Amino acid sequence: MWSSGRRVLQDLFSQFSVRSFCLTPAQNTVVVERWWQVPLSKIDSPAKLHPRRHRIYKIVEDTKHAPKEKMELILTQTVPRLGGRGDTVFVKKSVGRNKLLPEGLAVYPSPENKQMFAEELRLLREGKPEERIQTRTGQLTVEFLKRSKLRIIKTSDEFQLTKEVVCRQFAKRLGVVVPPQALNLPFEPIKDIGDYWCEITVNGLDTVRIPISLEPYDPSAGYLQQLKAQKQAAADNSEAAEEEEAVVKAVSDAAEDAQVAKDSVSQVKASIEASARDETVATTQKTQDTTAPPSDSSKKD
Amino acid sequence: MPLLKYSAKVWDAMSLKKGIYARLPKHYLKSLEPKEPTPVHWKPLGVQYRVGPKTGQRERVQDVPIPIYYPPESQDGLWGGEGWISGFRYANNDKMSTRLKKTWKPQLLKRELYSEILDHKFTITVTAHTLDLIDAAFGFDFYILKTTKEDLNSKLGMNLKRAMLLRLARRETELYPSDPTKRDKVYEKYRQQFEIPEEEAEWVGLSLEEAVEKQRQLEHKEPEPLFKVYVDQLVEELHTQKLCQPHLMEKK
Repeated sequence: MWSSGRRVLQDLFSQFSVRSFCLTPAQNTVVVERWWQVPLSKIDSPAKLHPRRHRIYKIVEDTKHAPKEKMELILTQTVPRLGGRGDTVFVKKSVGRNKLLPEGLAVYPSPENKQMFAEELRLLREGKPEERIQTRTGQLTVEFLKRSKLRIIKTSDEFQLTKEVVCRQFAKRLGVVVPPQALNLPFEPIKDIGDYWCEITVNGLDTVRIPISLEPYDPSAGYLQQLKAQKQAAADNSEAAEEEEAVVKAVSDAAEDAQVAKDSVSQVKASIEASARDETVATTQKTQDTTAPPSDSSKKD
Repeated sequence: MPLLKYSAKVWDAMSLKKGIYARLPKHYLKSLEPKEPTPVHWKPLGVQYRVGPKTGQRERVQDVPIPIYYPPESQDGLWGGEGWISGFRYANNDKMSTRLKKTWKPQLLKRELYSEILDHKFTITVTAHTLDLIDAAFGFDFYILKTTKEDLNSKLGMNLKRAMLLRLARRETELYPSDPTKRDKVYEKYRQQFEIPEEEAEWVGLSLEEAVEKQRQLEHKEPEPLFKVYVDQLVEELHTQKLCQPHLMEKK
């Protein structure tokens, strides 16, 4: 019988060279109802239909014109612009059916698959350090941190570089939220000008060493030059923010950007009122100390 | 009107009660019982009684299915229960206007569908509704295996179902013969819901003619020539005769 079954399937095995001609959106299930009401019949006996009148139909719904719904899938690999492994994404049906599923980039969110990925995520969070793997966003963060360098300007004589200050500078300059427990600052507290380094552990897995340079405030630099430098820094920051947008979910970038902008503005002001600059900057620092404690919402997702 | 012993309406049912039809396996005969497919082209009310929109009183209602024509091509594809609705419509959706003939037909697409159990890509004529059903069932194999015969409404679908069930039943030889790990994985995935013995799987989705032919082949025996039968009989007879005779010993 198997052989005859194969014979029936035979025509399917041959590949069709001709594509279907119609390329319109593939949605067309009509739902109809009768214009004329059918008289009630006795229970358990078929209804008596008029041969013509009860064959007159009215379209109730045509799925061709229904709003296109999206399709839920779980990614098995990192897909650009969509997400990383284990992420549940909603994509257009055509994308899911023609790209993600045939190429093995995603699977259906069946209960077994969901359970499998939940298990994987749990292992990632709780498992032993040897078994844990860095997430996609974590990798992106590591890449970004490897490229970056922190410049801190010493504003006053009693300025010291402590963990909180470094965390705040990370948030300000690079747009990276670093919780204090992820930061390792070996030369704490730093008072002298010079080059140092600190270590950041991402997701408790990868440790990145980042150079820090503590630079003196240079009053000789002209206002225009300073403005230029700040613009450059702002561009860097915005780049960083762009990078972070993909990476950071919990952090609101807009707020940070606003903060950065405010800081730069205050610094500009400070440079203008050269006489009273130390006090103002110090006060801003102080106010920031009180108002903006290092955010606990970690970027480690 | 001829005088019949039995009404012509029960002839079909009666023919299944005698001859080779009666000797078909139980599970196959059970699968032949007609069932109502899930409505696709109309919305069932789903209730016996409801509050009437005009009277406000409780009144009895009933679902009257809309007859749908399934053309022969639908058996070679997976239309997901869709078919042709042939009837009439009113011009301008106005009951007082002209009545026009109208046939609503489904939009057919050719799609490559990959079956994990059969490990092959099939190019099948489907409708958009079928693709949605496949997504809802979490995969082509699950769709084919889960969906009943009435809802599949396709010979091709039933053939695929039989092939898949046979693969699962004969997993040692046919399911991924070169890749044991993949075989175990696939088998575990489908085992719980769909595994049935091979003898049953062979009968799934056969049409009545095919089933009768299969039964006939199973029952078929080569005719034995009579001379062989008679030789055997004669040998038997001689043997008994010899045993019945008194055993004579020669005197020495």
